[in-house]
Amino acid sequence: MAGNILEVRNLTKSFGGLKAVNDLTFDVKEGELLGIAGPNGSGKSTLFNVMTKIPFGPTGGEVVFGNQRIDRMPPHRIAALGLARTFQKDAEFPDLSARETVALAAVYGRKLSRAGAMAATEEQLHAVQFDPARADMPTTELSVFDRKQLMIASALVMQPRVLMLDEPASGLTRPEITALDALLCKIAASGVTIMLIEHVLSLLLSVAQRLIVLNQGSLLAEGDPQTVIKNPAVVEAYLGGRAA
Amino acid sequence: MTRASLLFGGLLVLAVIPLFVQDSYTRHLFILAFIYAVIASNWDLSLGYAGLFNFGHLVFFATGVYTVAIAAKTLGISPWLAIPMSGVTAAIAGLIVSAPVARLKGIYVVLVTFAFGQLVLQLILSQSHLTGGAEGMVRIPYLQIGDYKFISDFKLGYYYVALGLLIVSTLYLLWVTNSTFGKSLLAVRDNEDYARARGIWITRQRVLVLTLSAIFPGVAGGFFAAYLRVASPEVLSFGTLSLALSMVLIGGAGTIIGPIIAAFLLIFATEAMAGIRGMEDARFLIVAIGMILVLRFAPGGLAQLVRAPRKKP
Ligand SMILES: Nc1ncnc2c1ncn2[C@@H]1O[C@H](COP(=O)(O)OP(=O)(O)OP(=O)(O)O)[C@@H](O)[C@H]1O
Ligand SMILES: [Mg+2]
Repeated sequence: MAGNILEVRNLTKSFGGLKAVNDLTFDVKEGELLGIAGPNGSGKSTLFNVMTKIPFGPTGGEVVFGNQRIDRMPPHRIAALGLARTFQKDAEFPDLSARETVALAAVYGRKLSRAGAMAATEEQLHAVQFDPARADMPTTELSVFDRKQLMIASALVMQPRVLMLDEPASGLTRPEITALDALLCKIAASGVTIMLIEHVLSLLLSVAQRLIVLNQGSLLAEGDPQTVIKNPAVVEAYLGGRAA
Repeated sequence: MTRASLLFGGLLVLAVIPLFVQDSYTRHLFILAFIYAVIASNWDLSLGYAGLFNFGHLVFFATGVYTVAIAAKTLGISPWLAIPMSGVTAAIAGLIVSAPVARLKGIYVVLVTFAFGQLVLQLILSQSHLTGGAEGMVRIPYLQIGDYKFISDFKLGYYYVALGLLIVSTLYLLWVTNSTFGKSLLAVRDNEDYARARGIWITRQRVLVLTLSAIFPGVAGGFFAAYLRVASPEVLSFGTLSLALSMVLIGGAGTIIGPIIAAFLLIFATEAMAGIRGMEDARFLIVAIGMILVLRFAPGGLAQLVRAPRKKP
């Protein structure tokens, strides 16, 4: 197996007394698809937030990407270095079309010229199978699935080394989840490392090569997805979380 | 397409107006409208596109006014050179105000930029050896080429210079707003986090937009000084500020063309009202009420009413 692309060391994020991410340490291996699970409020999104510094950084710990520490860098630099994230809540630029959104990421996140960005945009929209007929519509008029595709396309056009997806399947229908599954496999096959937060377990277990489970901001379990998911502590955390 | 044809149609009309409108008072109103249109449409760049409420926008205009006043009168530089210089000094003012503002949000931007405006006003008042203080400066050199004075032929020369300024400023604004940079302003305005996640350095974009929105108001200020031949702290008065702001909001923030059209409407409307006995003081109140009505019933401004939906589904 290749080396680590990301090393997360004792990462912590406190909100007052609440430690949303609590002394978290784990690695992400180059080229893997790492699943991240955990009950609601276990700190998954906060982990992405502090790793990308969007909108806030950690209160403690380090993140090493490649061979540089990124936890003191401004967010736009982290993005341009190759850590591209999506958002759990649909993010969009309401006054831009899909084309404009992706082109913007190509210009600012990948430093392409306008012409280069146009070409990269067409290529990327095609790669995520975005309906070309909808590429010039205002993003506010797109369907949920269009928006998910668009958010992934705008991340991928930056040619990131790590793609961080926060619940891409939420709100999708079964057939759409199947399409997403295929897309994720295709992206992974292209060599991009993926960190995937997902509540839809069938999708997570289908694509993840390794799984980490968070609970109350801490690492509860780590390893082979099929094994981890049957871990009694994990089962307990999920059931406990649901009962609460 | 319709926007472009509207633009060129309007331009053509404005270009031939002096053939029909020969009195210097009406031409004066047009010149004022051109100047206000430049101020308001450039304000729209920071306010409408970047969502930054720069209450110190008139400082850029004032910087231009005093640049030409001092350069042309005190230092004896030709106004033809001093007017473009005022674009540079105004851009520097934009850079200066962007330093504290670039990392602030919402109401804090308003507070700091308002304070900046007050600071500059105090500076103008206190440095009277340079600026003439509260009295201002008079008899600023006017525009002329050879022996031809631009004030002659009922202000014909000034009319076309002001119109030219508005045209260049508008082309510049359309270029900026249609560029990727312009799109990035909308992105930052509407979703900072998403914009950051796509590599946009928000602080830098804000510094840029404040600087870029300063240039043409500065040039307009410089022109204004050479036209009226006075520089007075009045340019930073609340009346000037609120009139320009109502042009942006009534015309429609984020449209560029809207504030330009509103500048014409408001200049002529307020002048018309000034001619009615008893209305002299009430007219700004009426403009304010108009602004509230527009914001209530057409929050996107007048431009929203005439503009077709942005893109076909
Ligand atoms: N900005 C914030 N301020 C205060 N508390 C926060 C903030 N963001 C998250 N939290 C808290 O941190 C904890 C972790 O939240 P987070 O959103 O990371 O969970 P999650 O695992 O992503 O949950 P979900 O599965 O529902 O998306 C929660 O208790 C949440 O209330
Ligand atoms: Mg979450």
